[in-house]
Parts: sequence; structure tokens; C-alpha cells
Amino acid sequence: MKILTVCGLGMGSSLILKMNVESVLKQQGIQASVEHMDVSSAASANADLVITNAELVDNLRHLSCPVVIVNNYIDSKEIAQALEQAGILTRGA
Amino acid sequence: MSEFLGVLRWITVNIFGEASILIGLIVLLGLVLQGKPLADIVSGTLKGILGFLIIGAGAGIIVSALLIFQPIWTEVFGLSSMSLTNIIGQVHFTERYGSSVTIAIAGGFALNLLLARLTCFKYIYLTGHMMFWTTMIFAGVMVNSNPAISGLQLTLMLTVIMGLYWTLQPALVQPWVRKITGNDNVALGHTSASVALLGALFGQIFAANKISSEDIKVPKKLGFLRDSNVVTALTMSLLFFIGTFILQIKGTPKAAEILVQSGDLSFYIYALKQSLMFTGGIAVVLLGVRMFIGEMVPAFNGIGSRLVPGAKPALDCPILFNFAPNAVVLGFVGAFVGSLLWLTLIGRYTGYVFIPSMIVIFFHAGTAGVFGNITGGYKGALLAGFITSTVVAWGQYFCVNYFISNTIPDTALWAGDSDMFVLAPLIAALTRLLTF
Repeated sequence: MKILTVCGLGMGSSLILKMNVESVLKQQGIQASVEHMDVSSAASANADLVITNAELVDNLRHLSCPVVIVNNYIDSKEIAQALEQAGILTRGA
Repeated sequence: MSEFLGVLRWITVNIFGEASILIGLIVLLGLVLQGKPLADIVSGTLKGILGFLIIGAGAGIIVSALLIFQPIWTEVFGLSSMSLTNIIGQVHFTERYGSSVTIAIAGGFALNLLLARLTCFKYIYLTGHMMFWTTMIFAGVMVNSNPAISGLQLTLMLTVIMGLYWTLQPALVQPWVRKITGNDNVALGHTSASVALLGALFGQIFAANKISSEDIKVPKKLGFLRDSNVVTALTMSLLFFIGTFILQIKGTPKAAEILVQSGDLSFYIYALKQSLMFTGGIAVVLLGVRMFIGEMVPAFNGIGSRLVPGAKPALDCPILFNFAPNAVVLGFVGAFVGSLLWLTLIGRYTGYVFIPSMIVIFFHAGTAGVFGNITGGYKGALLAGFITSTVVAWGQYFCVNYFISNTIPDTALWAGDSDMFVLAPLIAALTRLLTF
């Protein structure tokens, strides 16, 4: 499974989000490769799931995979909820 | 004994003399310390080195486009300006001083951890790409002040300067970050701190019955502004086109000489291509930075959270953008208008061609906008944006002309930003004072 975390430049905040998504997945024992990316590149990328913030979500709506929103990149609860919404985590995990 | 010296020389030349290999080693160390599996260690190390090499390639593309952009605008104002041809330049600078920069990033981070551990400033700076650019520009300023500076002096001084900056900068803006985020869990680790502070201070002008930017309607159509590639391409094309149009009207011999460069192509098509080459160059550099920073930051994070428990991460500015998305757009609008104004005025009166780097303008003005909004509502956000463009335009003028003119002005033009410009005179003075 491939997950993209996206911010405007694909430099700072998406990398922080990637690290936190990885740690949430690790806690649940789920295997996935998580990559961080800028919004330009992500618009034409292949992935099973894209995680970004409310600001950028409209630029990525056209993707065929699910796109979920996380606004606070260091809040593991919010990240877990987003992953639940995408059906990657089971509810109550 | 001579064999031992031979080995030492080999290491000095091939490892400490070649920044890309040194980066690879630091990444390798970080991955080993995190206890990553072998496959991750190999791929991470290679990606680190690859990313670093890509940066050089992108820098070359940017300069080739700027070499066309500058003469156009210089001729528009009918003045002679700086040239980008007799400088050390990013590519050679990295070859000569890249190792000092690399060691100073790692050493500065170590000092940041030590200070976070020992003092009440418990912030760990984790914005990797800004660590890279800030250290690089400061190195450029220092070598510019003292071209004879030894590698050892440069490395040591840079390490101390970076360590102090990365510890104190987040602490300085934290009172406002607390107001913006409503908690104390996270800090801002970004070179827009100076304009953010100014934005918050000047925002107070509008403190009386302020209206928050989040309570007014900002057109949804401005969403494309969030994609810096698009904004950079649009702005550069616009500036290239305006410049070309003015040259055609002027019709001076020098103007004709410039316009003939495009050969059979219309100069407008040629200019469009150059604008997109410039944008592409930046995209290439960012790809390179992303590759090696992506390997470095998780290592730094792992080490930091183990050594300084309870410290707050100082993160990139977009973490604040979600708290006031409209203020970000307003800040950018204020800065965009300001940039065009300063481009005209600085060009008209000094002959210096200001390059309004859209990445700098967007992220710095956006951050300043969020800070200005906290104290002065939407008017504060607009003003904070305008202040940002003022600091960046005049800062670039002084830095490129006086503080980094012989080393890497080519990089300062598009990657130099608020805190770097504000601190450049101080760094230059310190270098003259402390080195021999």
C-alpha cells in the first residue's frame, strides 16, 4: 500500500505528517510505504491514499484514490481518524 | 607513517572534500542510529547523495534563466547592474565549502539539542530544508566577508551561529504561536520569524475593533496560489513579458541586441520558455532538497526526542496556515503588490533588479499574514504581507550587493529570505571581527 502526504512545497510539513502517519501505522502493525510530496507532483502521482490539509484538498480532488484531510499534522488522534475514514484502520483501533 | 598520512589525505579529499559523500555518511549514521533495516539504510543513503547532486543541476538551470532575465530589466531601467558572471557561484561554492556547510548543519543541530536540554528554550528545530538554505547563505556571507577564511574557522563559527539561531528563533515567536494555535505543543521553526514579528507588531495599528480575516470572504478562485510552481511561472512570465514589451518600445541598440537572442522564435515565446525553465530549475532543486532532507529529518527527530524528552518540535510555517487560511492569502496579496512596487522603485533608483522569489514571498508573507491577523485582523494581514515584501526586496538588494556579492548571489536571489537578510550584516560583522 502506498500513501502520499502532501503540502504546498512537499518539504517541511508533509515530511512531519509522513513521520507521524508512519508512527500511527506502526502502532497498529500496518505495513505501508509513506511518501511526502508537493501538490504539483501529487496531482499526477499514483497512490492508494492521499493525506493533505483542507487548503490543498481541492487541488487533488480529481485523483482516483481516496483523499483525506488532516489539518493538525502532529495530532496522532486526527491522523488515526483520517486513516479510519479511509478504511485503513479499523474503528476503535 | 607515510602510508597513514596517505590514508588521511584520501579521507580528507574524498570524504570531507566531497559534500555529497559527507551528506551520505551523515544520513547513513542517522539511519543506523535509528536501527533501520539494511535495505532502508542503503536506499536512504543513496537517496541522500542523489538529492544533493540534483541540487547542483537545478541551480545551473536557474542561473541560465536569470542570465537572460537580468539584462532585460537592467536595460528597461537603462542602468548597469551587477553581473552574475564573475562570482564563485552555487556549483563551485558547494564544491569548495559544501563540507563545512554539511558539518555545520549536523553540528548546529547537536548544539540546538544541547541548548534545549540545558536551558529553558526547549525547542528542537526540524525544518530541514530551511536548515540547509540558511546555513548555505550564511556560509556565503562569511566567505564573502573573509575570502581567506579557513575551513575549520568557517565550520566552527557556522555551527555556533546555527545552533544559537535554531534555539532562539522559535522561542522568540512562541508567544504569538501560542495565540494562533491555542496551545503550547508546537513551535515555528522558519526563517520568516522576523517578518512574522513585524507583522504582529504593526498589526496592532488596527487592533481597535479588528475583523479577523477568517470572518471575511476571500474568493475560492485564489486556490491556485497554493501551488508555488504555478505562481512562480505566472509571475516570471509576466515580468519577462512586461520587460520585453518595454524593450521593444525603447528600441535602443542594447535592447535590439537582447531581443535578437531569441533567433527565429518570437521573443515572447522565448521569454515564456525561459520563465518556465526558471520555474523548472527551482522544482529540480526542491526535488533534490526533498530527497536528502527526507532522509535526514526523521533521523534528527529520532535522536532529538530521545535526548531531550518534552521538547517542542519547531516546524515549517504551513503548520500555522490551517489556523487562518484567509490570512495566508491576504498576506500573499499584500506582498505581491509590494514586490511589484519595490521592483519598480528599486530598479528605477538603484539599477538593481529585484528578483521577487515567489516561494519566499508566498511562505513568508503567508506566515506574516497569520501573525498580522492575530493582532490586527484582515488589515493587519495585508499590512504584514506588504512589510514582508519590503524586508525581502530591500534585504535582497543589500545582501546581494554588499554581503554575498562575490560568493553565491545567484542562490540568494531566489532562496535568500527574511531572517537571512536581517541577520546577514551581523554575520558579516562577526566574521570580520572573529576570523583572521
